[in-house]
Amino acid sequence: MQRKLEVLGMVCPFPLIEAQQAMEELNSGDELVVEFDCTQGTESIPRWAAEAGHTVTEFEQTDEAAWTITIRKK
Amino acid sequence: MIITGLLCGALLGFVMQRGRFCLTGGFRDMYLAKDNRMFYALLIAIAVQSVGVFLLIDLGVFEYSAGALPILSVIVGSFIFGIGIILAGGCATGTWYRAGEGLIGSWIALAGYMLMSTMMRTGVFGPLNQQMQTSSVLPTNSIAETFGINHWFIIIPFVAVVLFIIYKQLTKPKVAIPKLKAKRTGLAHILFEKRWHPFVTATLIGMIALIAWPLSAATGRVFGLGITTPSANILQYLTTGDQSFLNWGVFLVVGIFSGSLIAAKASKEFRFRMPDVKTGINSFIGGNLMGFGATLAGGCSIGNGLVMTAMMTWQGWIGLVFMILGTWTASYFVFVRPRQKAKAAKLKQEVTTA
Repeated sequence: MQRKLEVLGMVCPFPLIEAQQAMEELNSGDELVVEFDCTQGTESIPRWAAEAGHTVTEFEQTDEAAWTITIRKK
Repeated sequence: MIITGLLCGALLGFVMQRGRFCLTGGFRDMYLAKDNRMFYALLIAIAVQSVGVFLLIDLGVFEYSAGALPILSVIVGSFIFGIGIILAGGCATGTWYRAGEGLIGSWIALAGYMLMSTMMRTGVFGPLNQQMQTSSVLPTNSIAETFGINHWFIIIPFVAVVLFIIYKQLTKPKVAIPKLKAKRTGLAHILFEKRWHPFVTATLIGMIALIAWPLSAATGRVFGLGITTPSANILQYLTTGDQSFLNWGVFLVVGIFSGSLIAAKASKEFRFRMPDVKTGINSFIGGNLMGFGATLAGGCSIGNGLVMTAMMTWQGWIGLVFMILGTWTASYFVFVRPRQKAKAAKLKQEVTTA
């Protein structure tokens, strides 16, 4: 299953907090796609994902100050 | 020579934007994520600056006296400042550089911050500020002076501790952090795309904070980086037309904005972003608390947290501690408590439906 989370317009740390909350509701192997535009999120979200043991399957800048990251739950 | 402030600020804004140097986030994560990385980065910046500035002072490049310590206003002001930066989503400098990224929320915070800093100086809260500043004052601000020792007896052990922390951090088993797909090469990749290690960013910030001293002293302002007074000076100049408010510091903060704007534009990270109503209101309240607290404490996370700490003063270190306590208190109410409440409500709902 893949779930999409749009946190555009939110400033740090809210994109990360929203992502963590959404992740809690997913099952192992599910994917969470986070679309965000908070610059500092490019540091905090992948760092959290890696340290929590999840797998980042995609991480890309899509537009001016817009990013997408796909995280598979461990 | 006032123009060197603009260059110094632009460098700082550039480095902070690219390095994602956020002290508010750093202080917050010490509590929320038990992550001290950004705090260690700050210590590195302090150490670099401290060694450099005291060498310059010993060489007689300029003279500096830390003066007295208005202990009560430092404690109260720093704590309020800490609460303010959580609500505003960034410290004073952070707000200046995020404004350069096009975040309208930071523009709102900045407006509140400049307004309150001015009101505390030449406005209606001026007498209150004066009274607090003079109510409980200790005679010595310099830590070395209190103990009657040479300043190097404080700086060298501090640098040793920082080196030990760096060694510990860098030898820790690392988790590979996923990177963005590289779309550029060479210098453009390093400057506008690559993730900067916080310790590298911190070293650069320490060096910028260091060169700020002689550059600023050359214009008659014997101090390093400072954000709050210059931010108020801008509004004072704009509303009175009095050119004496235009000093090195004013150009410094305008430089931070410009440097960040350049960095964000060049790395395709600039876009006007409008916050929702709640964030907008929080930004304004946070900005006002920042201005109130920083003026009372005689410095923000840069003025006290980075510069007065490097000068090995009580004001810097006591200010830093209470600023961090303020961010933790606000983090509890803004991030932790709402989450606990939501969880409890959900549990209750599950029990009643079962």
